Amino acid sequence: METNNKQMLFLTLTKLRAWVFLALLLILFEVWSHTIYGRSFLANPYNLKSLAFFAAIPLLLALGQTFVIISAGIDLSVGFIMGLAAVISAKAVAYFGAMGLPDFPAVMLGIMVACLVAIIPGIINGILISSLGVPPFIGTLGMYGVARGAAFLFAGGMTVSVSNSILKWLGNGLIMGVPVLVIIVAIACIISHFLLSQTRFGQHTYAMGDNKAAADRAGINTKFLTIKIYALAGLFAGIAGALYTARFSAGSAQAGEPLLLISIAIVVIGGASLFGGSGTISGTIAGALVIAVIQYGLVYVNIEPFWQFIAVGIVIILSVLAEQAQSKLWGAK
Amino acid sequence: MARDRLEIKNIAKHFGPVKALDGVSLTLKPGECLALAGDNGAGKTTLIKVISGVHPATSGEVLIDGKPAQFSTPQQAREAGIETIYQDLALANNLTIGENIFLGREPKKRLWGFLPILDRKKMAEAATNVMKNLEFHTDRLDSPVQAFSGGQRQTVAIGRAVHWNASILIMDEPTAALGVPEQKKVLELIKALKAKGHSIIFISHNLQDIFEVSDRIVVMRRGKVAGERQIADIDHNEVVRLMISG
Amino acid sequence: MIKLFNRKAKALLLSLGIALTSTAAIADNVKIALIPGLTADAFYITMRKGAEAAAKAVGAELIYQGAAEWNVGLQVPVLDAIIARQPDAILIAPNDKDQLIEPLKRAHAAGIKIITVDTFIGNGVYQTGKGDADFPMSYVASENVLGGQMAARALAASIGEKGKVYVSSLKPGVSTLDQREQGFREEIAKYPNIEVLDTQYNDQDPNKAAAQFQAVLGRTPDLAGVFGANLFSAVGSANGAEQAGVAGKVKIAGFDAPASIVDDLKNGTLEMTIAQHPAEIGYFGVMAAYAVITGNPAPTKIGTGFTVMTKDNIDDPNVSKFLYTE
Repeated sequence: METNNKQMLFLTLTKLRAWVFLALLLILFEVWSHTIYGRSFLANPYNLKSLAFFAAIPLLLALGQTFVIISAGIDLSVGFIMGLAAVISAKAVAYFGAMGLPDFPAVMLGIMVACLVAIIPGIINGILISSLGVPPFIGTLGMYGVARGAAFLFAGGMTVSVSNSILKWLGNGLIMGVPVLVIIVAIACIISHFLLSQTRFGQHTYAMGDNKAAADRAGINTKFLTIKIYALAGLFAGIAGALYTARFSAGSAQAGEPLLLISIAIVVIGGASLFGGSGTISGTIAGALVIAVIQYGLVYVNIEPFWQFIAVGIVIILSVLAEQAQSKLWGAK
Repeated sequence: MARDRLEIKNIAKHFGPVKALDGVSLTLKPGECLALAGDNGAGKTTLIKVISGVHPATSGEVLIDGKPAQFSTPQQAREAGIETIYQDLALANNLTIGENIFLGREPKKRLWGFLPILDRKKMAEAATNVMKNLEFHTDRLDSPVQAFSGGQRQTVAIGRAVHWNASILIMDEPTAALGVPEQKKVLELIKALKAKGHSIIFISHNLQDIFEVSDRIVVMRRGKVAGERQIADIDHNEVVRLMISG
Repeated sequence: MIKLFNRKAKALLLSLGIALTSTAAIADNVKIALIPGLTADAFYITMRKGAEAAAKAVGAELIYQGAAEWNVGLQVPVLDAIIARQPDAILIAPNDKDQLIEPLKRAHAAGIKIITVDTFIGNGVYQTGKGDADFPMSYVASENVLGGQMAARALAASIGEKGKVYVSSLKPGVSTLDQREQGFREEIAKYPNIEVLDTQYNDQDPNKAAAQFQAVLGRTPDLAGVFGANLFSAVGSANGAEQAGVAGKVKIAGFDAPASIVDDLKNGTLEMTIAQHPAEIGYFGVMAAYAVITGNPAPTKIGTGFTVMTKDNIDDPNVSKFLYTE
């Protein structure tokens, strides 16, 4: 009945698979880079900074998705909520600037407005799923369309540009050599990790994802919990949208469109099960880095660009296979 | 004579025109195991749902230790000392024993004096103690409960009730999903709980189990009490006769 | 050659337009519909302005209807609704070169003259008597190969005609972007000291375009320039350059010219951008339509020009007039 050591080792490896992938990839690119360029891939601050910067915004979106997927849901609307927030933040910052506010308060107010707006579709997602019994896939697909339409409407179909020094600093500035954007996302990671691992909210998210009936019987208000989870995903998408605008000094309705599937891939590579109940923030961080390293690394070593798709696809498949092997091991008891 | 721990008087529960419970009364004494038997649809499950606060009764009265009690949520019932152990265990299999025991009632402490966080140490300690009392020894308190066997998980579910000091445990088919050796273990556990003064309502289809652990039996049929006997005064045939024809 | 042909075609049409204006009474109540690739896009809004100017000049009525997004499923119902209104001609930027053939055949069968603008159906070569997509009368668009050539010349000049460059694009298979890349590569090959690296595709994600820039720069420290085949690619690459601390050193050439591009040029984010002339597309589209409606010939292909915008010339009204209106 007791798990033997070999199994334990295997389980630990599957749990930490995103970090294992990441380590393997880094070793691969390190060797590759030495072979063809005669210099290090990793011991190169330029590459590290570029990777962190590249991974930051997709990771932010994936943080919210992590909570959703652990709760046995999925949020297809985060991409366009991000686009909506990108447009709103550009418009709002420009508006407050035009009202005569200095750059700093204009940015703070503008981002707050964008985040508040982004939470609304999240709350509606939560209500649809928890109170009206709409499956998450369908409910958030509906919101995908609504947020998309709203974003295009607000933007008038165009990219909304905004000029504000503080906003530009948030998106492109450095603090002691570290991009501000990366610092913001790192803080979001710490807060997410804290919420998920140290609070009742996180504990209940895990419980609901594994066994909703058990959570209900334990007296957990799963309806309110679901709403909170999707609102959080909306909030993270909102911050991601605002940071996108900060980075490019312009908000675009399709800002997050390419990132929706990436955000789900990151969480799955990070070790979460789409059936709910498992996943960690550290795994999601590793997942985001895995995708960034593949895409950046293959360009760095000058490989035909289409290999990126294949490489990311293979990692996703391997990750899901590892997940299944893991549940089989548990199930065998 | 000790006061009844639980007394229900003339409980009715209607779902539209369907009378799932039609004037049910019964009592439960401290340290007593009351078996609830009956065919499928006889109203056993509805009755325990009324007692545990899942469904409010249409009419009737519930008394706990002589005081009227009316529960509209499972939490209220739980706070009054009624814990229900379901056939499907109602455990989050991805959480540890301690986390399951405290699910929905997690203890907190303050990190650096201000940041409220889960008190995992307290949960693990409580888990060790409770499980020790139930003769369940493990050093794998960090493992999710999915790593344990069905009987061990049933023990965790019972342990949760014990930890929260439930005076009344309602067990819905606690042995149904288990292998024979593990069934024995759970039955031993029920006897031990009785000895410690817990009152138990035991629902089972298995008459052998009922005769082994119960003190008294109530047979239900079509939403009514078809008969009530001391276990010593009844045999298998009589129970079956009550279940079929009242 | 192409340029020469264009000039001739334009001259022909302009004279045609003027000539027809004077005899507008012959063709009364001409209705021409313009269906853009998507509405509320600066490029198409500017195209509409040109079309309106031409319609006014010849005394035709212009109907402007389209879908909010680039999507065949949304464009076809709009087209069907327009067919029901029985215009004399439809100017359309088809959302797909194959899927719009059948729906447009219906319009053609209803006696409506079809002219495609900006994008095309089939292979874009019409009135050949071959294939099932030759029925449109004319294809009016920027000569994207030419645009790519202009970008190559301008970028080559700004990097001193030497160094390494690459093309940043959305994804393979987008005809206009592929043509721009083709033109760029053809022209840049004439500079012996310029080396062109692999094209990077960013899936319309500027974050990815930025990371690709950083990765290419990481392995190619002597990178001299990038041609962003569309605005997203250019802006993303420019952001990568900024992050890598080489903004202004590695020259970025972009494509298209919404009003916001002025800032990007002035602050050095982009070295230059190649502005299309959507108003001309709209203008010549309507003129060609009017010609065929009134029984006059029109060229089956009309290519419109480009303007190279840099921070040095953007304040010149002759250049800034080509910024897309919003």
